[in-house]
Amino acid sequence: MEFFKIKLRAMKSQIAIIIFSAAIFAGCKKFLDLKPETALTSETFFKNESDFKQAVNAAYVPLRPIFNDRSWVLGEMHSDNTYYPRNILFGAVDATENVADFAMPNSASSVSGITLTTNGHVLNQYRLDYQIIARTNQILAAIDGVDFDAASKSNLKGQALFLRAFAYFELVRYFGTAPLHLTVVGNRLEAAAELASKEQLYAQVEADAKEAANLLMPKSSQEPGRVTSGSAKMLLGDLYLWQKKYPEAETVLKEIVTSGEYNLMPTYDKAFSNTSDNKNNAESVFEVQYMEGAAGYNGSLIYNFLPRPMTKGELQPITQTSNPQDLSGEGNNIPTPDIIAAYEANDQRKDASIAYITLSQSLRDNKVYPYIKKFAKPHAVHGNTGNNWPVYRYAEVLLALAEAINEQNRPGDADDYLNLVRNRAGLANTSASSQADMREAIFKERRVELAFENKRWFDIVRTNRIQEIIVPYGARIKANPKDYYFPDGAVPPNNAFTILDPYYGLPADESALSPYF
Amino acid sequence: MLKKKINYYVKCISTIVVAMSLIVCCAYAQDRTITGTVTDEASSAGIPGVTVHVKGTRISTQTDPNGKFSLNVKNGKILVFSYVGYLEKEVAIGGGSEVNASLAIDAKGLGEVVVVGYGSQTKRNVTGAVQNIDAKEIKDIPVSQMTQKLQGKLAGVQINQTTGKPGQGMSVRIRGQVSVTAGSDPLYVVDGFPITGNISNLNPDEIDDISVLKDAASTSLYGSRAANGVVLITTKKGVKGKTTVGLSVYGGIQEVPKKGRIKMMNAEEFAQFKKEYYEDAGQPVPVEFQNPSEYRDKNNDWYDALLRKAPIQSYSLSINSNTDKLSTSIVAGVFNQQGVVLNNEYKRFSFRMNTEYSITDNLKIGFNIAPSYVFDNTPRTDGDRGTGILFNALHTWPVMPIRDANGELTLYNNFPGSTGNIFNYPNWVRAADELVNETKYNYLVGNAYIQYKPIAGLTLKSTFNVENFSSKFFFFNPSTATSAINVPVPTTAVSIRQNIEGRSLLNENLATYAKSFGEHNFELLAGFTNQKFYAEQTRIQADTYTDDRLPTLQGAININRGGTNNAYNEWSLVSYLSRLTYNFRGKYLLTAAIRSDGSSRFGSANKWGTFPSASLGWVISDENFFNSIKSINFAKLRASYGVIGNNNIGNYTQYALVNNTINAVFGSTVATGAAVTSLANPKLTWETTKQFDIGLDLGFLNNRIQFIYDYYLKNTTNLLYSVQIAQESGFTNYNDNIGQIRFWGHEFAINTINIDANKFRWTTNANISFNRNKVIALAEGLDRVYGTFHITQVGKPFGQFYGLIADGVYMNQQDLDNSPQVPGRSNVGTIKLLDLNKDGKITYGGDNDDRTIIGSPFPKFIYGITNTIQYGKFDFTIVGSGSYGNKLLIRHLYSTANLDGVFNMVEEAKYRFRSPENPGKGFFGTTVGGGNYTGIERDWMNSRFIDGASFFTIKNITLGYNVGIKSKAIKSARIYASIQQAYVFTNYWGGPNPETSAQGDGNGDGGNLSQGVDLSNYPVPRTYTLGLNLNF
Repeated sequence: MEFFKIKLRAMKSQIAIIIFSAAIFAGCKKFLDLKPETALTSETFFKNESDFKQAVNAAYVPLRPIFNDRSWVLGEMHSDNTYYPRNILFGAVDATENVADFAMPNSASSVSGITLTTNGHVLNQYRLDYQIIARTNQILAAIDGVDFDAASKSNLKGQALFLRAFAYFELVRYFGTAPLHLTVVGNRLEAAAELASKEQLYAQVEADAKEAANLLMPKSSQEPGRVTSGSAKMLLGDLYLWQKKYPEAETVLKEIVTSGEYNLMPTYDKAFSNTSDNKNNAESVFEVQYMEGAAGYNGSLIYNFLPRPMTKGELQPITQTSNPQDLSGEGNNIPTPDIIAAYEANDQRKDASIAYITLSQSLRDNKVYPYIKKFAKPHAVHGNTGNNWPVYRYAEVLLALAEAINEQNRPGDADDYLNLVRNRAGLANTSASSQADMREAIFKERRVELAFENKRWFDIVRTNRIQEIIVPYGARIKANPKDYYFPDGAVPPNNAFTILDPYYGLPADESALSPYF
Repeated sequence: MLKKKINYYVKCISTIVVAMSLIVCCAYAQDRTITGTVTDEASSAGIPGVTVHVKGTRISTQTDPNGKFSLNVKNGKILVFSYVGYLEKEVAIGGGSEVNASLAIDAKGLGEVVVVGYGSQTKRNVTGAVQNIDAKEIKDIPVSQMTQKLQGKLAGVQINQTTGKPGQGMSVRIRGQVSVTAGSDPLYVVDGFPITGNISNLNPDEIDDISVLKDAASTSLYGSRAANGVVLITTKKGVKGKTTVGLSVYGGIQEVPKKGRIKMMNAEEFAQFKKEYYEDAGQPVPVEFQNPSEYRDKNNDWYDALLRKAPIQSYSLSINSNTDKLSTSIVAGVFNQQGVVLNNEYKRFSFRMNTEYSITDNLKIGFNIAPSYVFDNTPRTDGDRGTGILFNALHTWPVMPIRDANGELTLYNNFPGSTGNIFNYPNWVRAADELVNETKYNYLVGNAYIQYKPIAGLTLKSTFNVENFSSKFFFFNPSTATSAINVPVPTTAVSIRQNIEGRSLLNENLATYAKSFGEHNFELLAGFTNQKFYAEQTRIQADTYTDDRLPTLQGAININRGGTNNAYNEWSLVSYLSRLTYNFRGKYLLTAAIRSDGSSRFGSANKWGTFPSASLGWVISDENFFNSIKSINFAKLRASYGVIGNNNIGNYTQYALVNNTINAVFGSTVATGAAVTSLANPKLTWETTKQFDIGLDLGFLNNRIQFIYDYYLKNTTNLLYSVQIAQESGFTNYNDNIGQIRFWGHEFAINTINIDANKFRWTTNANISFNRNKVIALAEGLDRVYGTFHITQVGKPFGQFYGLIADGVYMNQQDLDNSPQVPGRSNVGTIKLLDLNKDGKITYGGDNDDRTIIGSPFPKFIYGITNTIQYGKFDFTIVGSGSYGNKLLIRHLYSTANLDGVFNMVEEAKYRFRSPENPGKGFFGTTVGGGNYTGIERDWMNSRFIDGASFFTIKNITLGYNVGIKSKAIKSARIYASIQQAYVFTNYWGGPNPETSAQGDGNGDGGNLSQGVDLSNYPVPRTYTLGLNLNF
């Protein structure tokens, strides 16, 4: 044992080395505390004005895919304004066809009994709206706790409130019911919320839009492209029409008119943005912003709206790009004979909105198709457009105001606003004088003035005219499929025009993730 | 902090280098030369590799491949002959110069030493589930990767080659272990260093020995990284004896066998199909297809056009030297494999030097260094429709010309839209030839260690390991080609440059103390280790080149901001470990181990974890009562239980990250935007696996038959899973520890010496394993997770194929009227599906779903068999590996059986339904009606897409011959011929490789919950080689 002890002493230096090296690492707690160096974390974000600016900017971003890819499917093709030009050489687009054919696969939730659908457009629209809501909730939860310039703060807060209100307004109009999230989701169990009623959602939109209207700057002082107090008031006015709160609608819409911030553009075709100019013009109340180029902020709208197959030679005159490509697959959002017939004689809006093209490779006997011209603006590169999407135009403010007044049984006061819109289109004053006639005149005017701006389905629902309008429209298609761009022998599916609910089913994929529906 | 540590390492390493440079080797004067032959007592065949040692001295040598040796003996009277598996023998040196010895097989046969975690044990004493492979068993297999050589050799280990790309695609799953998201590859430990880089870059010729640790008792010393099993790799060390030089060379040719390739329509058949398509639809036939026979001599087989016969070569030079104090082993290798797909090349230059210097009898230092360089250019072969050129080639209309009238490769092809041609098809031969997709890897592993034995039985060892890696990836897509379908050519030229540079540093300090008290034998291990990893990545994507010849950054007009980024990744791990090994009379065995890990990857609340294990062994055959059982000469029972972890969850997953590239546009200005895009989980921690193992080792007839059986039961809990959450939250997933999966299985291995006669020896090694799993729980309130084609459901094995059950086609109107239908989409001749919920209609998804589990990607059992025959100077080996009962999803059928005729069709589609009078084989439905009808068959996952993929593959056949050379320079020479991937026995019809799975190759449908997808990856070639081994 003595021997052992001596050796142990000799070992001491070695042991010391080992302990020393152990101490280097273990002694330093930071050795195990590694934070990401190329990304910010929630611990380091929302600390200053710049963080909130960036967060508000990001909250606008989901609007680009919403309006480029979804709104026109759910808001326009799901109406009598547009349809799909069936290309029987191509099959794989039934999600869009189902929407246009009022034949979406529906089922009932086993939890709540509410209607569900597996349609991908519905799912994506829903998710994108909640992306806006989650981003704005994060901003609104933190912004009051951070001290910075008051004017900047109210402008940022106003934008966040507007965007949240806008997203909920979309949800309530598409679905009639939806989960209501107003706080930041922190973990898995908080992810799903109970469904809120239509009234609860309307109330939330109203509260947010009202506050936004107070906080936001007017258009003349706001950076072009951002929402303004005018945008918020228009959103509020739109909401009031749905709620049938006509006096409130009149008040808030009139504030826009009297603000002097907006004008109709001299001609209808000038109301719409070009690919790099005429954006956010005098008529624009709220536009979703796109930018042409390789950086990824572009749209591709018109490419979704053209019939197919189209050769590049046929395409080039429309887009005027340097590198046109053949278009295959199936096009969408093609004006129906119904909307074409809806324009009055000499309405300048007809030629400004719709043009025709002959497709040499079409299997239809008549190879001529109409297409939406008002968004087909010349651009540089194939598939890459930069024109903005008009969400609210001053023309709609005027028509909404006319409606709000007429619904208070003052058709004589309403016609001024209606006529402003008609006269700009080269049409004479309206001949309507009774409240009922005026209501019909405004409804018709909205259809042509706001054609292809994703308003038609909402107008039909809001005025409770699904049975009156969609049922005969479906019958016409089934009776004369060739008039609705089907090639000889091809017909809509036999379950077309069977699902005429005012609201879309909630997404089945989300139902699977929520205990509430 | 890091700088300090590097300095510390640098100091230690430089000390060792200086010490080594001072070493001077002395030569001994020697007296007489003894020569002789060592033979097997039973067969009288020479035994190569026997250590011949002069007792009482350091002088020793090894026998050559014929069993001959030659040794200078200064003083000493006795030679000691020892070799693994044989009894040691001492022979006195007489007056003559020749001493021969014949060795008897060690009846216990288990004196062999097995490398285990942080040490080694004799096989006899091993109490865990460990399988050992000597590099000699796998030396002639002409492949680039070590894991390829192990196919069919290991019980309980499923090794699949998911793609034939050289240097890629090996999927290794030990005991079926799969994590949902946390990675399922085993931990590879090379010379004690858990490496972070790509194991496929290791030159297999450097390997001396491989141990696969399967149960928790064996792996728990690797703590939070051990749950997927551990593969311990030992590289070649200097062996006692004279300096030897070896050269191994082989060269060969690879080709893709015709058998198994997907049978597609040729040009004439395709034109006929299109003609019938229009006829059946009652439409005029486009002029292009009115006369199919005009394509008879104009077939274009786009798939074949991408393949070639390609050479493979390997050169490996090894030097082994061992003087009194310094032992060195050097392996230098050059490997060059041209791929069987055009323009594919894989080259590896590698070097390894392992040295050990004994400063005194109880102090030694060692220094290993292994640099390597790999060049890999791979066309974009693997991937889904649209990205993988092999997949794309299958789709391309065979009527489209590969070359134009002048013999030039076409740029791209399309037919008029009136023919139903929707897509542009770029020329895939150009895509293979002209796209650059190369990666250059520089890799350096170094280990330095110092070992001191201050007193008998006590060993102190400190090691310092460095793994340095860098890779340069360069991709260039010139304007004249593209790998994507429907991109017109000329296209926009794009370049991507991605550089990764990183380092992993590990310091380990271990103390081992072995002591026996009477018949009680103890060994105690204690240690402290810490490891730190960092990697830096820079990626630059540029596009729009005016000149394809200059893909420089300055030559690009645009830098793509979305594709340009840099990232910095770090992790660190601090661990304490300890193990006690005890046996009584070598009969009752006990091992207990514990490791404690602290990891930077886990949330602040859960940084530390402890992983204990214990195992017991009982050598029953040593008991007196066993003596009566004569036929069984060895029997050992083993049992173990332990807790292990899996920390492969990526770095920083516990944090909520802010994405600051979500930019908005206002007017003509871009405004930077940022949003929190993930949710934080500070409680995030490692996956825990508790594993129980019971094993039995038996030896019969003097170990001529060895039998090994293991049963295991594992419960993996705290599954690291990115749980899908309701997206109304604004987020898609939440990283959490949820659920539980149970794994269990039986493994059998048998090694037999079938014939051991004079000059003729035949041995067989075979194994079979049955691995099972079942999901016990998922997250609270979540009983299933859907993938595109899969479902993971509580109570079922995970990742099962999920879809509708196909039941032929509606044969006629009556059949249609009497059967459940898809509302609005079923018609005479369309696919008929089963209405499982009996609600009268067929529903895909949602609450009235008719889908069910339609197959499992997991085999019922896997097996392997190796036969080795030695006859005189000839040796013959045949290795086979197989799998039974697994299914694959034939992904290409979504397109190649698309009845709209958009793509080329599988030949089988000739036998589709055309009319009630001409119903075909009832497999494929009618083309009539367009997507509304055909879309069901094509787009709704159903049982037609699934096929059994059981297979048995003859992996390797080698025939060798030892050339009798009487030359002073050349001691021995062996030539051999081999065939790798000789033949695949399978009924699978979806493609040439039944081992494939998109899982693991980073494409499309990958992920552990969605295995078994056949994306028509790079086929595994058959390789014919000739080789030569020379020893000097």
